[in-house]
Amino acid sequence: MIRPLLLVLLLIVGVAPVNAAESVWEKSVVTVEVTFKDYDFFQPWNTPTRSVRKHGLYVGNREVVTTAQYLPTETLVRLQKGGRGKWYAAKVIWFDPHADLAVITSDDPEFWVGLRPARLAKAIPQAQDFNLIRWRDGNLESRRVEFSKFAVKDGSLSFAPRLTLELNTDLGGLGWAEPVTLDGAVAGLTTSKSGNTCNVVPAPFIRQILEARAKGRYPGMGYFDFVWEPGENPTTLEHLKLKGPGRGAIVIRVPDRPGVEPVLKPRDILLEVDGFPIDVAGDYLDPQYGHLLLENLSSRGHLAGDTVRMKVWRDGAETNISYVLPKAQYHDDLVPRELFDHPPEYVVAGGLVFQALDQPFLRGWGEDWRRRAPFRLQHYQNSAPTPERPSLVLLSTVLPDPVNVGYQDARLLVVDRINGHRISTLADVVEALKDPKDGVHRVEFMKGDTLQSLLLDAASMDQATQRVIRRYGLPAAQRITGPTAQQKAQGTKSGA
Amino acid sequence: MLSKTLAAAVLCLTVLGLQAGSPERSVIQILTFSQQPQFDSPWRYDNVRRSGGSGFVIKGKKIMTNAHVIAWAKQILVRRYQDPRPFQARVAYAGHDCDLAILEVDDPSFFDGLDPLEFGDLPAVRSAVVTCGYPAGGEQISFTRGVVSRIEVQNYAHPGHRFLLAVQTDAAINPGNSGGPVLQDDKVVGVAFQGVPGLENAGFFIPPEVIRHFLKDIEDGKYAGFPEVGMNLVPLQNPAYRKFLGLPEDGVGARIDSLRPGGPAEKLLKKDDVVLEIAGYPVGSDGTVLYRDNRVSGAVLFQMVQDGEPVKLKVWRDRKAIDVEVPVAVYRGDRLAGNHYDTPPRYLIHGGLVFTPLSADYLRTLGRDRPDASSSALFYELYYRRSEDPEGARTEPVVLATTLAHPVNANLRVRGKVLVNRINGVRIGSLEDVARALEQKKEGAHVIEFAGQDGMECLEREASAQANPQILETYGISSDRRL
Repeated sequence: MIRPLLLVLLLIVGVAPVNAAESVWEKSVVTVEVTFKDYDFFQPWNTPTRSVRKHGLYVGNREVVTTAQYLPTETLVRLQKGGRGKWYAAKVIWFDPHADLAVITSDDPEFWVGLRPARLAKAIPQAQDFNLIRWRDGNLESRRVEFSKFAVKDGSLSFAPRLTLELNTDLGGLGWAEPVTLDGAVAGLTTSKSGNTCNVVPAPFIRQILEARAKGRYPGMGYFDFVWEPGENPTTLEHLKLKGPGRGAIVIRVPDRPGVEPVLKPRDILLEVDGFPIDVAGDYLDPQYGHLLLENLSSRGHLAGDTVRMKVWRDGAETNISYVLPKAQYHDDLVPRELFDHPPEYVVAGGLVFQALDQPFLRGWGEDWRRRAPFRLQHYQNSAPTPERPSLVLLSTVLPDPVNVGYQDARLLVVDRINGHRISTLADVVEALKDPKDGVHRVEFMKGDTLQSLLLDAASMDQATQRVIRRYGLPAAQRITGPTAQQKAQGTKSGA
Repeated sequence: MLSKTLAAAVLCLTVLGLQAGSPERSVIQILTFSQQPQFDSPWRYDNVRRSGGSGFVIKGKKIMTNAHVIAWAKQILVRRYQDPRPFQARVAYAGHDCDLAILEVDDPSFFDGLDPLEFGDLPAVRSAVVTCGYPAGGEQISFTRGVVSRIEVQNYAHPGHRFLLAVQTDAAINPGNSGGPVLQDDKVVGVAFQGVPGLENAGFFIPPEVIRHFLKDIEDGKYAGFPEVGMNLVPLQNPAYRKFLGLPEDGVGARIDSLRPGGPAEKLLKKDDVVLEIAGYPVGSDGTVLYRDNRVSGAVLFQMVQDGEPVKLKVWRDRKAIDVEVPVAVYRGDRLAGNHYDTPPRYLIHGGLVFTPLSADYLRTLGRDRPDASSSALFYELYYRRSEDPEGARTEPVVLATTLAHPVNANLRVRGKVLVNRINGVRIGSLEDVARALEQKKEGAHVIEFAGQDGMECLEREASAQANPQILETYGISSDRRL
């Protein structure tokens, strides 16, 4: 009889509700409910919505900070304090998916009554255990989580790398901005969990972003726009005429960006970045967080537009360069990873559905999209944009209509030209369709084994488009809100 | 036991309604002991595999079967109908593109008392056929009966990248049936060869058209293969497109959408030419022709002639019909994209770095994991580069397949599964280029550049050359190259 009782007791202790010292978090940790547009990228005119609940942290000044996930396309945001009771209407006043942070407020003064600002840690010590705080069924739960390591990773919504705190825990359902605390301060917010590894955006990073924003000087996340490899092969270093002990990382690719004169060259060896020596693994020794990938030096105290000093080995000699951090922007990629700044675009003409090729479209193939989405479309992600072709448009499908008889099976074809005009954006499609030749529209696709061209009667296109809109219940023949090809080609990068 | 077996056979014959000629006596059981190379360790072979198939006697004291029955064979044993004795056989011809092979038997007495089977014509859809062979599930000959379900072009799974005429039947075709005859009125109207996963009651056999082409091909003592013309014929059914080209809505004519660079048709035909007839057969607007009461892809007609022979076309160009004669040719430019048989993979080993051609067989060794940037680059190079960027395509792309660990290469970060771009400044278009680039280098380190974002690696020149014999010995490799 004793044993079962003990077991019950232990279980209760194991999932302990917060103790007295921890209960302060009740006044700082809030629940955020987000209803957001979860677009159907195969029918981009549809905008179904979905709701999720995550956590937020009151940081003072009537502001709640949380991770950016699901907020960029929100249609409704509500806040709840104390883990239960009334929901308060709220609004997003700032977000940056590249930083994976958002700030929410509520105009309802009642919401702020009784809340106490959380303290964001200025630094995080290594090799400590942390507490993870979350609301569960109206109660605040505090669980011990184990420190694993500091790593440099891409953001949950961005290719821009940043410091990430990795924790080890078998707790399920994490990654919803649950605060992780240490010694009465917030050490970070969870962003995702894979296996037993829980990723946390650390508080010092959050502070850096929020402080810049508060000063009105947040230009966005910067990143190193080049590819490097470790200099671990001494023969390669010798071939590059590096004198002295092995060190440094070798630059292997520098993208050709319009309007940006590259300051790095392939086969440069990065010896120092921001004053930190780079070792052959491409790491530097961070005074607070130990050995980290050099990539972290693009966000350690820096934002887009900042200058980072670099010492490189080039052509047998050391040289100093100033590298201006470009701003992380989705359309820097040929196939953008996200498109939060605008809803999915489309143009329907004569039943032909044109869409931008972006990763959200590829993710339409589901969780296993990397295996299931068409290889050729995915492979465009490995290509760089060019001034001539900063982005891609594809004929995603055909809505059958008498005007497009014979083309019903044409789909997932990347468009090269329409009526002789090069196509990079949907705006290009619209413009090109204004210029039929010999009474027909000619659509040409990228060279390959697939269909190369099709042709439609120009005179009956408008009528056919209207017929298609009616029959298939489309709200409009087109939705174009993203950057134009010219804007994409010029970019807004402030790179070196 | 003997009497029971005989009774069963008689019953079977009665049920199936076979003629008194007893063609089953000429159906052969084939046992193959094969060993396939490992394409990522090209000097090495998999375990010996035993598999069974079927065949049948044709004139000239030969056995016809499927190429996949005898692929990579180290030993082939054949057995006659109800004769326990195994006889040694060898491959005389293998047409891997059409999945047919001819075997010869060392002991001529094997054919004593066996009549060669005769070939019939393409069977009609809905007509009854009987398959004979030695499928899995027993040791004795098996007969199944069905009807011809449909006739059209199918992907031949054995080569993987070839589409030829095939006949679908609901007669059961199971593993072991492969290579066996499909009979109608005691004549061979097909060779059973494949099924399609997920399709029930659907087996496929190779029709007489393909069999006769193969037999004619080998009359000169060597096998060339099935030719093609190098054009992509697509349906022309959109009224606006037809009107634009000046064609009536009569359902005739398919459009040339693209021509393969360097193909036989490239200089004779043009994009947007409309093919009205192929070898006298009117071409439908969907690209098919009516061949013996079956609508099949017009491409079939180019496969009816031999390598280098001409085919007459009637083509609509500039609003008038013209006659064009196009020679067909066997296309070998995509050989690496198909399955490879019988010739072990080429390779070259230097300093423990194993270079081998990029091929479909090699790619399969990478498994089905989530494709990373490197394997994605390989996939693109093999399957897309040739058609999208013919000028940039390599004759024989080469991969660094793996690295055999040794102190001389211990510091290399890139150790395999990457496409080699240049070695010592030489662009690598074949394995011979690798050998040449390594041999030409007389001073400094070898510089190996990879395609994509895999950067470069340097290898100590003298040390790697000196280490090679030791590496080969350590890993039990008899030669540093197979070129």
